Amino acid sequence: MSESLLLNINNLKTHFVLAEGVVQAVDGVHLAIGKEEVLGLVGESGCGKSTVALSILRLIRPPGKIVGGEIWFEGEDLLRKSEGEMREIRGGKISMVFQNPTSSMNPVYTVGSQIAEAIKLHQDVQKRQMKEKVVEILHKVGIPDPSKRTEDYPHEYSGGMCQRAMMAMALSCNPKLLIADEPTTNLDVTIQAQILDLMRTLRKDFGASILLIGHNLGVIDEFCDKVAVMYAGKVVEYSDITTIFKKPKHPYTQALLESIPRLDVEKERLRIIPGTVPRLIDPPAGCRFHPRCEYAMAVCGEQEPTPVEVGRGHTVACFLHTSEG
Amino acid sequence: MEQRLMTSHSRAKSKEKNEELYEPSKATRLFIVWRKLKTSKMALAGFGIILLVSLLALLAPVIAPYDPNAIGRVRVPPSTMHWLGTDAMGRDMFSLILYGARISLYVGVAAVLLEILFGLAIGMTSGYFGGIVDEILMRLTDLIMTLPTLPLLLVTVILFEQRDVNVIVLVMGIFGWPFMARIVRSEFLALRETTFVEAARSMGATPWRIITRHILPNILSTIIVIGTMDIPWYIFWEATLTFLGFGDPSSPSWGVLLWRGYIHFRMEWWIITFPGLALFFTSLGFNLFGDGLRDALDVTTRGR
Repeated sequence: MSESLLLNINNLKTHFVLAEGVVQAVDGVHLAIGKEEVLGLVGESGCGKSTVALSILRLIRPPGKIVGGEIWFEGEDLLRKSEGEMREIRGGKISMVFQNPTSSMNPVYTVGSQIAEAIKLHQDVQKRQMKEKVVEILHKVGIPDPSKRTEDYPHEYSGGMCQRAMMAMALSCNPKLLIADEPTTNLDVTIQAQILDLMRTLRKDFGASILLIGHNLGVIDEFCDKVAVMYAGKVVEYSDITTIFKKPKHPYTQALLESIPRLDVEKERLRIIPGTVPRLIDPPAGCRFHPRCEYAMAVCGEQEPTPVEVGRGHTVACFLHTSEG
Repeated sequence: MEQRLMTSHSRAKSKEKNEELYEPSKATRLFIVWRKLKTSKMALAGFGIILLVSLLALLAPVIAPYDPNAIGRVRVPPSTMHWLGTDAMGRDMFSLILYGARISLYVGVAAVLLEILFGLAIGMTSGYFGGIVDEILMRLTDLIMTLPTLPLLLVTVILFEQRDVNVIVLVMGIFGWPFMARIVRSEFLALRETTFVEAARSMGATPWRIITRHILPNILSTIIVIGTMDIPWYIFWEATLTFLGFGDPSSPSWGVLLWRGYIHFRMEWWIITFPGLALFFTSLGFNLFGDGLRDALDVTTRGR
């Protein structure tokens, strides 16, 4: 494992055991995030993005279970840690922002007291300094008139302000890694832009690595250093941002990129990927994308492609490229 | 006196739990609840009745015109001497009802506290941990709920050697929790899936902290409302048990007065009517107040 890596996920498998069968939500995912790097994790709904995020924090609850793999964080395997040690890490070294800002806050407490509580879990701060600290951090995330707004309840905040407050909470203990699970999904476009700006500033100020989960490729393009594309519980392509947007190799990535509207290219119709995401209880044999893939070959339905390096730091799991590489 | 203290104390305490960090909001919050409560005439009437009954119970020694055990002329109809008449043993009915209020209120409040204690413990465990624990506890709850209440209470009271108000309270507490446990469980099931609980876990909160700081405060209003509305229910059950002769005649609750009065009903109507009316109005008060409280405690729809 290289020294510059902060997080290295190796062959992570998270399954959900249901009465109808085992849902292989995450099935052999490899991911790596360097220090102060921003990794985007994209894919359709239900492809296992959020499950990866929750697995990192070990917040998967029954019937879900992490059944295999390793999650190396600062030289230690998180999957071998005790629950108590994990609690130290959650919110302390790794924290998370969720996609529904307004419901991420407990409705019965003031915003200020919730941030204070998060700080209290990891740091020794005197009651008197606590208020200052809360105000300071709310000020940092751009809440106007923070000393007054700490006394407000979450329902008195707008969606954008709630997300700012959630970021304040997540960043209150200077985490090394921030996991943002579609942080802008339920916000309108101008607020989205503001939140992204904020994340950019915070990244500079706090020096944290960020795992940004999303299906909005525009957001990913603007903000990330590297991108991992997930499909049906597996990472199909991983590369730096420019390569993936200029020269995507995996047919799924190509299709995904062609399906978003662009201002600089004239096009009659947008690309549609035929079919739907497979049910992960009985995923297709071989490459999971082959039933929807226009380049599918005989081998695709028989064997599972392993990720191969096709360029510097650019890996693809597809038989079209194994022959080349 | 004790019972009056208990109600206000438990309410104040639960409020306190919500607001540890910032002092000003505690007063604000109570004020908001009160402001919303004020808009409902029914709730205010209920509150008035509860306040009145509690005050009368509390100040019984001051208000009561006679010692409730002092014996005078028997079966005197209501008059200026004895406002509500006297009973078959010559005791002043008004004084008896005032002192009886103390016992009846005590029974109601104490039994509700027991119900909350058991219901919360069982509902919480069931709802938060789920799985096999939930299965076992819920089947036990079903079992108690399906058994007919009255025979169950009677049999259990008989099992105890002595006749005592506290025995009745205990027995009612033992069998009264299933409904509360169910509600608490279902609220826990819903709340443990919310994003804010997930967020709290992602910040490194322990299960205990999540239960006490994040989930409980959210169901507090439900518990308070159910508790308030169950108080008259327990007062009624105590009266029923007593009326059937399973009570403690040495502590004359309203039930004891009814039990003593019914044989004289044809001739001396006042002996049974006035304790009955006291019971009726108290029950009405708690129900009206509980209804109003339910609306007032909803934090997200604050009255402006």
